[in-house]
Amino acid sequence: MTQRFLSHQELASLVAELLAAKTRVIAPVRAKDDPEQVEYQPIQSLEDAALGVRIPRRSLKEFFLPPTEVLLHYRQTKTGVEIREVATVAPPQVILGALPCDAAGVAAVDKVMNWDYRDELWFGRREATTIVSFLCSLMDATCFCTAVGLGPESSTGSDVLLAPVTGGYLAHLVTPKGEALLQAHGSEASEATLAAAEAAQREARQKVEQNLAAIPAEFAGWLASNFDNPVWKTIALRCHGCGGCAALCPTCHCFDIVDEHESADEGVRRRNWDSCQTALFTLHASGHNPRQSQSERFRQRIQHKFSIYPSRFGEILCSGCGRCSRNCPGGMDLPTIVGELVAMAQAKPEAGGQ
Amino acid sequence: MKPLQELAHKLLSEGTVKVVIGYEEGPRGVRPAFITDAAQAEKLIFDIRCVQNLAAYLNPRRTQVAQLGKAAVVVKGCDARAVAGLIREKQIDRDGVVVIAVRCGGVLQNPETDTVLTSETVSARCGGCAVREPSLHDYMVGELPAEPPVNPQRAEQIAALERMSPAERWNFWDEQLSRCIRCHACREACPMCFCLKCTAEKSQPQWIDSSATLQANRAWQTMRVLHQAGRCVDCLECERACPEHIPLGLLARYVADAVERRFDYVASDDPSVPAPFGVYRADDEEEFIR
Repeated sequence: MTQRFLSHQELASLVAELLAAKTRVIAPVRAKDDPEQVEYQPIQSLEDAALGVRIPRRSLKEFFLPPTEVLLHYRQTKTGVEIREVATVAPPQVILGALPCDAAGVAAVDKVMNWDYRDELWFGRREATTIVSFLCSLMDATCFCTAVGLGPESSTGSDVLLAPVTGGYLAHLVTPKGEALLQAHGSEASEATLAAAEAAQREARQKVEQNLAAIPAEFAGWLASNFDNPVWKTIALRCHGCGGCAALCPTCHCFDIVDEHESADEGVRRRNWDSCQTALFTLHASGHNPRQSQSERFRQRIQHKFSIYPSRFGEILCSGCGRCSRNCPGGMDLPTIVGELVAMAQAKPEAGGQ
Repeated sequence: MKPLQELAHKLLSEGTVKVVIGYEEGPRGVRPAFITDAAQAEKLIFDIRCVQNLAAYLNPRRTQVAQLGKAAVVVKGCDARAVAGLIREKQIDRDGVVVIAVRCGGVLQNPETDTVLTSETVSARCGGCAVREPSLHDYMVGELPAEPPVNPQRAEQIAALERMSPAERWNFWDEQLSRCIRCHACREACPMCFCLKCTAEKSQPQWIDSSATLQANRAWQTMRVLHQAGRCVDCLECERACPEHIPLGLLARYVADAVERRFDYVASDDPSVPAPFGVYRADDEEEFIR
C-alpha cells in the first residue's frame, strides 16, 4: 500500500479541483436542524466540512442505495406495456471524511449486491464513487468495530485512508482509484509521520477494544444451532420493532419493490428500504406470519448479521458503528446483547446431569 | 427508589402480576426493565432520566411482552394518559393491568447529556403538567417533587408556526417531511398506534404510496397525526424513534392544541372520560361542512 503525506492545504486544493471539475464531494457537515449533530452532505468547499467532529447521524448507505429509487418507468399501450429503463451510470462523486465503519459497511453490501444478481444501480454508484476515509477518533461506548474484525484504522471499503498527523494527513492509497485521486497531490511521508500515524492507530484501537472483545469465529455456528434457544423469548422485550436500527445501519440492505401509478396508464417501479424488524416484512398473503413476535424478528436480525451472512461470505454483516444502539428508543444495546450471547456460546456445557 | 422496589417485590412474590415493567440502569443510561423475578425488583429506579413511556409495552402489538402474563407498569402521569387511552379504546382491560404511578417533577429533554432539571434541560412537555398524580392508578408511590420547571421551547415553536402564513407553514413541513424515509418507526414506537393493519399498509386500494416521495410522505404523516388527534399523549416516543430526526412531536402537539381549542379536550388520564373521536355531539361545530 502506498503512503503519502498530504498537507491541509493540499487537501483543500484537491477538494477545490474536484468541485471545479463538477465532481460531487460529500463530507460530514453540521446538521441544518441541529448544529450539535453531523451528517454526510454534499459540500461546496472544504470549509463546509466538519471533519473529525462527531459520528454522522446516518451512514453512507443512502448514497448508494437511496431510501427510494425508480427502477423503471412503464406505460400501458393498446398493444402491451412500454418499459423505459433508468440510467445505471452515475455521475462521479468523492466521499471525504467517511468513517472506516461506514466504508466497510458499503463493502459488506457489495457482496450481496453481486451475489446471485449483479445490481447495476448499486454498482453504477459504487464505480463512480471514491471513498476517502478518516482514521476514526470519534468512538463512544456503543462502538465495537474492533469486535467485528474491523477497526478505527480499517481500510476495508476505502479507496484512501487519511490519518491525521502534524500539519496534515498520512494518506494510505488503498486502491488504484485512490491512487488516481491523489496522483498529483502530496509528498513522500517522513519516518516521523509514519510513526505518529501508527501511534494514533494503536490508541484508537485500544479505545474501541474496551467496549466488546473480538467476536469468536465459533459464534456463527453457535447461533445456527441455537435457533430455538429460550434466550430469544426474552432478548427483545424492550424492542418496539420500529426498525430505526435497520434504517441507520450501514449494512442493512433489504428492500421492497412496488409499482406506483402516476396517471391512468403510466407509472413507476420503485425500490424502497425495508426492514425485517417490522411484522409486515414476513406477512404472507394468507395472513400467516412466520415471524409472529418481536422475539423472532430480533432473532432474525442477529442471525442474519452474525451467522447467515458469515456462512455465505465469511464475514460479519455489521461494522460496529453503534448507530442501532445510539438511536434505539427502547434501549436495545447491540454490543451488550452480542456480548451476552457470545458469553453463552463460550460457556462450558454444565457438568453432571443424568 | 425503595417504595417502588418494595411494591414490585410484593406484586411479584404474591403472584398478582407476572412482570413489572419499569426503569433500570442500562449500559447507556436508563432503559425499560421487565422484572419477572421478585429478587430482581431492587433493580427498579425512577429519576429525571426516565423519559420513556412504558405504556407502549402494553400496546397489544407488543406480543413478546404480552406472553409474559399480567403486567404491572410504572407510569409518570403523562404515561398514565396513554394507559387510559388503551383502556378507553378497548385495547386492554382495566383489570388486566396494575398501574403504578410515580409522582413526577418532570424529566430531561436529553437524558444522555444533562443531569440537572432546569428550564433549559427539562422536557418541553413537562411545564404546567396537570397529571403529576394521575387519577388512573392502583398504587401511587414517591413524594410529590417540586413542580417541573417550564421550558418555553415548545410554546415558542408553536407560536412560530402560528405566525407563519399558510404557505410558509406548508413549506416548513415540506422541508421536514421531505426527510421522511417511510420506515414507520414513529408508528411502531407509538403507544397509541395499535392498529393491526395500518391505513399505510392497505393496498386494495392503496390509499398511501409506500415510497418515500414528498407527496406520499405528506399523506402518511398527515394521516397519522390526524388519527392521533385527541389521542396523542405527547410522550415523544415517535420523535425518539425517528432515524431522520423529524419534529413529529411538534406536528402532533399542533393538532392536539387544535383539539383542545375546539373540543375543550386534552387526552385524559381517566379512561371513563370519552375522547372527541369516540363521541357524537349534536352541538359540535360543523361550519366547515358546506
